Amino acid sequence: MAQRSDLELLEDLLARENRLLSAYEAALRRDAIDPAVGELLRDHEREHVRALERTLAGRARNPRAGVTPPELNAALKSRESFGRYAIGLEDETVAAYTEATAAIGRPGLRQPLGSIMCCGAAHVVALRQSLGDRSLVPYPEG
Amino acid sequence: MAPSLTRREALGGALAATVLASCGGGDPPPSTGPKPGSGAALLGSLLALERAAVAAFGACAEQLSGRSLEEVRAIRAQERSHARRLDRLIRGLGGEPPPGRSAEEYARSFPRLESAADALRFAEDLKEREVRAYLEALTELPSLELRTQASRICADEGNHLGAIRVLRGLPAAQGPFVTGAL
Repeated sequence: MAQRSDLELLEDLLARENRLLSAYEAALRRDAIDPAVGELLRDHEREHVRALERTLAGRARNPRAGVTPPELNAALKSRESFGRYAIGLEDETVAAYTEATAAIGRPGLRQPLGSIMCCGAAHVVALRQSLGDRSLVPYPEG
Repeated sequence: MAPSLTRREALGGALAATVLASCGGGDPPPSTGPKPGSGAALLGSLLALERAAVAAFGACAEQLSGRSLEEVRAIRAQERSHARRLDRLIRGLGGEPPPGRSAEEYARSFPRLESAADALRFAEDLKEREVRAYLEALTELPSLELRTQASRICADEGNHLGAIRVLRGLPAAQGPFVTGAL
C-alpha cells in the first residue's frame, strides 16, 4: 500500500472519530447505551474530534457525514447489539491509530495520537464491562 | 495537538516508577552489536520494563482472586508476549537483549502488598508507567517498523490500564487523552 500523507492519516482518523461520536449520540437518543457510559464515551470522542480538527486547522476535506450508516440503525435496536457494534468500531479505530501513530511524519504528533489510541483501547474495556463481558480477551499463559 | 503529557503526582505512581527503575528499566543499553541510533537500546529499556512488569503482576496475583485474578493473569500473559516480541526485535537489529533478573531480585524491590486493593493500585501504577514509556518511545524510535510494533504494544497497555481501573471501580479511561505517568 502506498504511504499516506500526514493530512490523509489525520483526515481518516477524524472521519473515524466523527463516526464514533455520531454513534454514541444516536445511542444516547435511542437509549441503546447506559447513559453514564454513553455520555462519558461521547464526551471523549468530542474531545478527540476537537483535537484533530485543531491539528488539521481547516484543511480536512471530509467533513462530518450526515447520513446514518444502515448498520448503525440496525445496532440501535438494543443495548447488546449497540455495544457489540461500538466495540467493533472502537477496535477498528484503535487499529487505525496504531498505524497512524507509527507512520505520521511529524514526531510531535505521535504522543498525542498515541494517547487517543490508549483512550480508545480503554473504551473497549468500558463497553465490554457494560455488556457483562470480561475486560480482556482470555489469553493463554505462556 | 493540544494535550501535553503531565506528570502524575500520586505517590503510588512515583513508587512504581522507582520500583521499575530498580528492576531494570534503567539498565544500560547493550554495549556491542547494533549501530547507535538503531533503536535497540530503547527497545532494551522497554524489554527490561516488561520483564519487571511480568514479575510484578505475579506478585499482584498472589493477593487476588476471582475475576481480578483472571484479568491480571491475562495481562501477565500478554506482557510475556510483549517481552518475546521485543526480544526478537532487538536480535533483529543485531543486538543482545539485556539479561533479566531473578524472581527474587525483582520481588525484593516491590512494595509490600497486603490486600487486593494494594495489588490493584500497584498494578495501575505499573500500567501508567508502561503506557508513558511506550508513548515516549514512539517519538524516538527511528523506523516505521519499530514504531508500528511499539504502537501495537502501547494499545495493549492502554487496554490493560483500562481493565485494571475497572477492577478498582474506576472508569476505564480517566480522560480523553490517556498519557500514562512517570
